Amino acid sequence: MAVDQRFEVRQETAWCPGCGNFGIVRAVAKALNGLGLDPSQVLFVSGIGQAGKLPHYVSGNVLNTLHGRTLPTATGAKLANGDLTVIAVGGDGDGYAEGGNHFLHAIRKNVNITYIVHDNQVFGLTKGQASPRSDPGMVTGTTPLGVYNEPFNPLATAMTLNAGFVARGYAGDQEHLARIIQAAIQHEGFALVDVLQPCVTFNRINTYQWYRDRVYDLDQEEAYDRTDRQAAWKKSWEWGERIPIGIFYQVKRPTLADHYSDILDVPLVRQELDPGAVEEILSEFRIG
Amino acid sequence: MQTLNIKIGGQAGQGLVSIGTILIRAATQEGWHLFAHQDYESRIRGGHNFIQIRLADRPVASWENDLDVLVALDEATITRELGEVKPGGVVIYDPDVLGQDAKTLVEKPNCIGLPFARIAEELGQPKIMANSVAAGAVWALLSEEIAVLHETLALMFAEKGEAIVQGNQSVASAGFARVRELTRERAVPAKPQGSEPRLVLRGNDALPLGALAAGVKFMSAYPMTPSTGVTEFISEHGRIARVIMEQAEDEIAAINMAIGASFAGVRAMTATSGGGFALMTEALSFAGSAEIPIVVIDAMRPGPSTGLPTRTEQGDLRCAVAMSFGDFPRAVLAPGDVEEAFYLMAHAFNLAEEYQMPVVVLSDQHLADSYVTVPPFDLSRIEIKRGRVVSCAEAGPDYLRYRCTDDGISPRLYPGFGDGLVVTAGDEHGEDGHLIEDAETRRRMMEKRMAKQRLVEENALDPVLCGADEPELMLIGFGSTKGAVAEAVEILNSQGCRAQGVHLPQVFPLPKSLAALLQKPARKFIVEANYSGQLEDLIASRFAWKPDGSIRRYDGRPMNAKFILDRLPGGVCHGS
Ligand SMILES: Cc1ncc(C[n+]2csc(CCOP(=O)(O)OP(=O)(O)O)c2C)c(N)n1
Ligand SMILES: [Mg+2]
Repeated sequence: MAVDQRFEVRQETAWCPGCGNFGIVRAVAKALNGLGLDPSQVLFVSGIGQAGKLPHYVSGNVLNTLHGRTLPTATGAKLANGDLTVIAVGGDGDGYAEGGNHFLHAIRKNVNITYIVHDNQVFGLTKGQASPRSDPGMVTGTTPLGVYNEPFNPLATAMTLNAGFVARGYAGDQEHLARIIQAAIQHEGFALVDVLQPCVTFNRINTYQWYRDRVYDLDQEEAYDRTDRQAAWKKSWEWGERIPIGIFYQVKRPTLADHYSDILDVPLVRQELDPGAVEEILSEFRIG
Repeated sequence: MQTLNIKIGGQAGQGLVSIGTILIRAATQEGWHLFAHQDYESRIRGGHNFIQIRLADRPVASWENDLDVLVALDEATITRELGEVKPGGVVIYDPDVLGQDAKTLVEKPNCIGLPFARIAEELGQPKIMANSVAAGAVWALLSEEIAVLHETLALMFAEKGEAIVQGNQSVASAGFARVRELTRERAVPAKPQGSEPRLVLRGNDALPLGALAAGVKFMSAYPMTPSTGVTEFISEHGRIARVIMEQAEDEIAAINMAIGASFAGVRAMTATSGGGFALMTEALSFAGSAEIPIVVIDAMRPGPSTGLPTRTEQGDLRCAVAMSFGDFPRAVLAPGDVEEAFYLMAHAFNLAEEYQMPVVVLSDQHLADSYVTVPPFDLSRIEIKRGRVVSCAEAGPDYLRYRCTDDGISPRLYPGFGDGLVVTAGDEHGEDGHLIEDAETRRRMMEKRMAKQRLVEENALDPVLCGADEPELMLIGFGSTKGAVAEAVEILNSQGCRAQGVHLPQVFPLPKSLAALLQKPARKFIVEANYSGQLEDLIASRFAWKPDGSIRRYDGRPMNAKFILDRLPGGVCHGS
């Protein structure tokens, strides 16, 4: 796949040795190299957490914002310059806890960005507390008796809101993940890629071995129809003996930019600024 | 100065704003200058609201207590507001809405009963045209001719078709004729001189107009009174002005969306009020650290908490100046009137972009919702200064977003506009924008960012003065008290007291030139609409200074000259 090598992965990182994030960042670079994009045309917007550091470790423009605010920030940047390929990146805490409300509404807006969530089912950077994705029973720093909240299902939630592209990857399968990320970038509209990411330090349950025993590719399912929302939604609840990865659901919907197409015929950032342009509006207030 | 105060009171949903708008437009057309403020409750129907219009034969910037005309669309207007009518003033009420007690109150020669809705219906028009009946009735006290009112109705209802225009004109004529007949011996005021074109608009029109003139391209907001007018204005005019106004799911999203757009290279803003502004706290700090320009309008209403949602106060000053954690540069502007609001918006965007920092523009309900007549804006005065931006050609692959420079301002590159990569972070970062942990880089970056604050201070807007040059009494204020202070100063001077008004269009950082004013041998009073004296604290802590007294209002109602004069201690002026 990768012919181009313009997207490089930095060697030195602040991640733990063996972290699932390495698989994700390599898959991201692979996907982008495969698409033949130039790093100057790509903008990574990320939040805070170990996941949020990814943009610092791969070529591209970076807007590393606050914890949980990844999606609104990315939405603004994309609306201002639709020529940029915008990839939002964050952890499961960032996206599903602190930024949960933004997650719902970014999907509703259907802004044309790709959202990669490093789903390690734990708050990594703050050293191992429960996340909305932690499995019930998991003992963490804040849940000494085990996690008792119902886990958040990002895929089902996204489909409920009729997200146009809903996928799950696995950090341990870079080739597959890179393919999914490419498809997500090529999808016009909001594309969710939730990535199962082993956390070698704080998550002793959902390990590489644990995933290896369970993960299977949806594409190997005969007659899986990724345009059937009901079936896809049902599939998103499969979590246990077998865990599906791949593109669960894909459908084309008008994007946020389509709504503003008459304003966005030229990207906002390339439009002239002219005070004289308000003359017409001022005339509404003029008397005499 | 010849002035005339008209108050129209009624329930929410009764058409106060329509009557007010008709009269405001017609009076402006007739040549009057005016100031009109609105008082409304936090509800959609019912309650008691009013709009009060002050007409004058020269520019006015504040309101007066005593009424020449009171129009009552509901009973509460009579029971509550009758006492404000001057001797010789006229009351026009709708007898169909009054109970027995109120009916007794209006049994006076200066009270005219006019069943607005019934008159409209008798003329075969819908009830809603009661508004034009009332407007016609008031017009009879202003002019002997109805022509200008008819013209105004024609313009306002043109879109609805000829039948609606004619209907409104005919019912207005009926209201006009009845009142003229009953007040024949009463002289109408002299028609004001001069008929040069004017704008009539509110702060909530001027602020977004200023933003549009300044080239704002992106706005995101979440509705909250009294800032919502700004948001709806940009939404409504977005397509003509080619601006996106995207409603956010909350204020946190709103400001972060705007920050994202600004980072990408467009002028971006948000608008909110107290509680929503507080939710933007963290993002303000982010913009400071990441050095991303952003303009935030905070239209103040009385707090704490959701407080009095539809009333006015200046209680967010401390918050605007100090809100958020860590040290970062910022500026806080406080336009005092509609004209200043328009021109300061352009300045706010320039500051934000030249210093790559957040700029807060403080408005409040009184400024936001009050109409005033002003000369047409001079668009040639709007200068767009986008600060230091590197062009595509200059931006080589070794571009550093946070390159250390002598003045702390690093040239911006819009992502995608060159080979260089734009790397930005709110976590502490090096010149290249990537994350750092070492003490030395942290120290340098902190100093680089804060160097900009010094520049902002050196270039701070000077106080705007009015009244006597060598004052014995000084009234110092900011924001929407400007008009009230100016009028108090004018009255004091007319009484032989050498008074001076000092209005601060920039409250943070305060201009150094304020120090010299504070040295003047005058007695100084701080006038502000909050309980604790937030402006006083700010000036006191900056200049190690104390005023001779303070005049504060915190009942949610707007300041005016009378409020200030009533609270000045006796004998404060040797001249008086
Ligand atoms: C407003 C705010 N609250 C809390 C934090 C502390 N914090 C930093 S990262 C994080 C959670 C990290 O979890 P996740 O987003 O899943 O990222 P991971 O480190 O697991 O990749 C928290 C709570 C913060 N930076 N900002
Ligand atoms: Mg996590």
